[in-house]
Amino acid sequence: MSAEFELTRNITIGQYLPTASVVHRLDPRFKLGAFVILILAIAICDTYVGNLFALAICIWMFQISKIPLHYGISGIKPAIPFIIILAIMQLLFYGEVVNGGTVYLKYGFITITSESVRLVIVSAMRFVEVIFLSSVLTLSTSTTELTHGMERLLGPLEKVKFPVHAFALIITIAVRFVPTFAMEMEKMMKAQASRGADFGTGEWWRIIQRTKDMFPIIIPLFNVALSRAEDLILAMEARCYTPGAARTRYTEYKAVGKDYAALIACIVISAVMLAIPW
Amino acid sequence: MTQPIVHVENLSHVYMQGTPLEHRALDQVSIQVAEGECLAIIGHTGSGKSTLIQHFNGLIRPQSGKVIINGMDVSSPKIDIRTLRRQVGLVFQNPEDQLFEKLVGDDVAYGPFRMGLPLEEVRRRVQWAMDLVGLSFEEMKDRPTFALSGGQKRKVALAGVLSLQPKVLVLDEPTAGLDPRSRLELLDRIRRLNREEKLTVIFVSHNMEEVAKLADRVYVMANGQSVCEGTPRQIFGNQELLRQHHIGTPESVDILYRLREQGYSIDPSAFLPEETAMEILKLMNR
Amino acid sequence: MEKGLTVRKIVIAGVLGAIAILLGVTRLGYIPVPTAAGNATIMHIPAVIGGIMEGWGVGMIIGLIFGVSSFLNATVPLFKDPLVAILPRLFIGVTAYLTYVGLKNVNQYLAIGAAGFIGAMTNTILVLGMAVIRGYMTLGVATTVAITNGLPEAIVSVIVTLAVVAAWKKLGSAGRQKSKISGDL
Repeated sequence: MSAEFELTRNITIGQYLPTASVVHRLDPRFKLGAFVILILAIAICDTYVGNLFALAICIWMFQISKIPLHYGISGIKPAIPFIIILAIMQLLFYGEVVNGGTVYLKYGFITITSESVRLVIVSAMRFVEVIFLSSVLTLSTSTTELTHGMERLLGPLEKVKFPVHAFALIITIAVRFVPTFAMEMEKMMKAQASRGADFGTGEWWRIIQRTKDMFPIIIPLFNVALSRAEDLILAMEARCYTPGAARTRYTEYKAVGKDYAALIACIVISAVMLAIPW
Repeated sequence: MTQPIVHVENLSHVYMQGTPLEHRALDQVSIQVAEGECLAIIGHTGSGKSTLIQHFNGLIRPQSGKVIINGMDVSSPKIDIRTLRRQVGLVFQNPEDQLFEKLVGDDVAYGPFRMGLPLEEVRRRVQWAMDLVGLSFEEMKDRPTFALSGGQKRKVALAGVLSLQPKVLVLDEPTAGLDPRSRLELLDRIRRLNREEKLTVIFVSHNMEEVAKLADRVYVMANGQSVCEGTPRQIFGNQELLRQHHIGTPESVDILYRLREQGYSIDPSAFLPEETAMEILKLMNR
Repeated sequence: MEKGLTVRKIVIAGVLGAIAILLGVTRLGYIPVPTAAGNATIMHIPAVIGGIMEGWGVGMIIGLIFGVSSFLNATVPLFKDPLVAILPRLFIGVTAYLTYVGLKNVNQYLAIGAAGFIGAMTNTILVLGMAVIRGYMTLGVATTVAITNGLPEAIVSVIVTLAVVAAWKKLGSAGRQKSKISGDL
């Protein structure tokens, strides 16, 4: 009950958990690169054993990053009903769509084949793996490191006139302001609740009324955000910030042996995952 | 003391319980506020002041300990939270951010409309509330909120809470960020609410001049605990305590203490500007 | 968009991107109205507003941030597919911008409201279209959802976009409007 307004607790983005493990200390460029490779491999891999292997690797990653597994599991919990519903839908209706495999059951319009069963199980496993991997990445890497890593990885795009730096700055600003606005929003909800606000009490069919019930929070939220933006624009222009100007970096990353080792390990893991034929 | 209107007993609160980010914000706090009193809560940033005041209107429910407001037990799950919130008006920091209606009158009327009051009653309350904060009802009610100055917006926000006609008014740093003139005017309004409209006022402040000027009684908070309580005279007379908890003192108190350190015989609890001036005059005339 | 992003565009895109993320991770992003899903999302609205205020480039970047955040936060496999979660979202701010620019000389309010409507419809139609192409649902289901969910969502979008942009642009209603509590009783 007291958690009614505690929004900040539920925001997982950038929820850095400093346990100072080996994973935490990896070069963010390499960590991000390895993450992308693993995600791609998981997206392609459609075998049972391959996915079991991937799942085991994900759990092992929690181990070596010294992050309690329940952080990953809590990301899955809210999704379970959806996974089950989707699984049932796929099971009932996808027998005809997915080609091949032996037919287990055919009753009216329902067809269940070995391939549709595989689709159901593999997509559920994939989902868990993606959640686990993203959790390890965001829990072991601060948002600053993440944006730095991303900026460097996108660096080559500067050659085709893509504004990499500006883009990275936008992401940095966005991520930086999420907790600030979350706190503003929490304050706003509390302040309006103190004035008797009760969100969404109008009759359910009155769309306009229901939308207006949210105005006491939404309007101030956008106003606060836009006025913060004005302040920031002024502050940046006052310091003569010029988009696209050449500038040096405050943090320089230097890859060492363990970074290469981690990247190679992830490539090998991905290759194994895809090579498993069952 | 008669039955206190706010009664807090052994209240504790832990944020993010069960995570590595666990943080104990309140630790066995007990506070009593009598009806009609003007109470200040002071303390260093992070001492638990904001967490405490959010218990007063049930935004945070007690995890352990008791909060009883005007006879209503906030920890009871059966409590009618809307009735409670009408009795305790809570004004947050920078309340001007919360204005959302296009027109001043509509924003002040939001609370009374939510209470389902008839139009005449809403109108009467809006007029009353705007009068109290010093905004002319006729002149201001149809003004767009975005065209107001910061100080005026804050008054509108305050009127928006007063229009609920609460028994207790709780303010979190009511004058922070205002220019000196608006600050003085707002303080004067708050004092009048307390003295003339008989509202019980509880306010959190970092500004010791304000505390000295307004409060009947002061609670000092540190590390989630209420470390001491007394009249402004008692609190500001105890320099040891203030230093220990990193609490500033009104400038007048500073002057008095410095004079005393220089060896002058002076009463350090004469901290109201006029009293300080008198003390200094006395020294000079000797 | 011209080559360089201005400071203003960078900051507005970042700040509205932050709101898009925030709406995605809290229940504030959903307004409980009668739709197939039981609520209407307003998460696309920052992209619409960005498009109206700062052009299609900013709208597109906010759409990207919204898309990536909905991809990362997805609890349904449908949105764990980047082609469904991210790609369609890029166009929300673009169509909203084009609508606004096309109509702004007719009437500001009409242009803003229409941009809110078109932005929301872009989101609905492209996401569902992609879902059909990727085989998550049949065309029939998608059409039903588009009507039962998309239309109320578009109405919500019009209301919110109008309120936010009109307030921010300080579109003058001063003098013309009277407070609800005004007038003779």
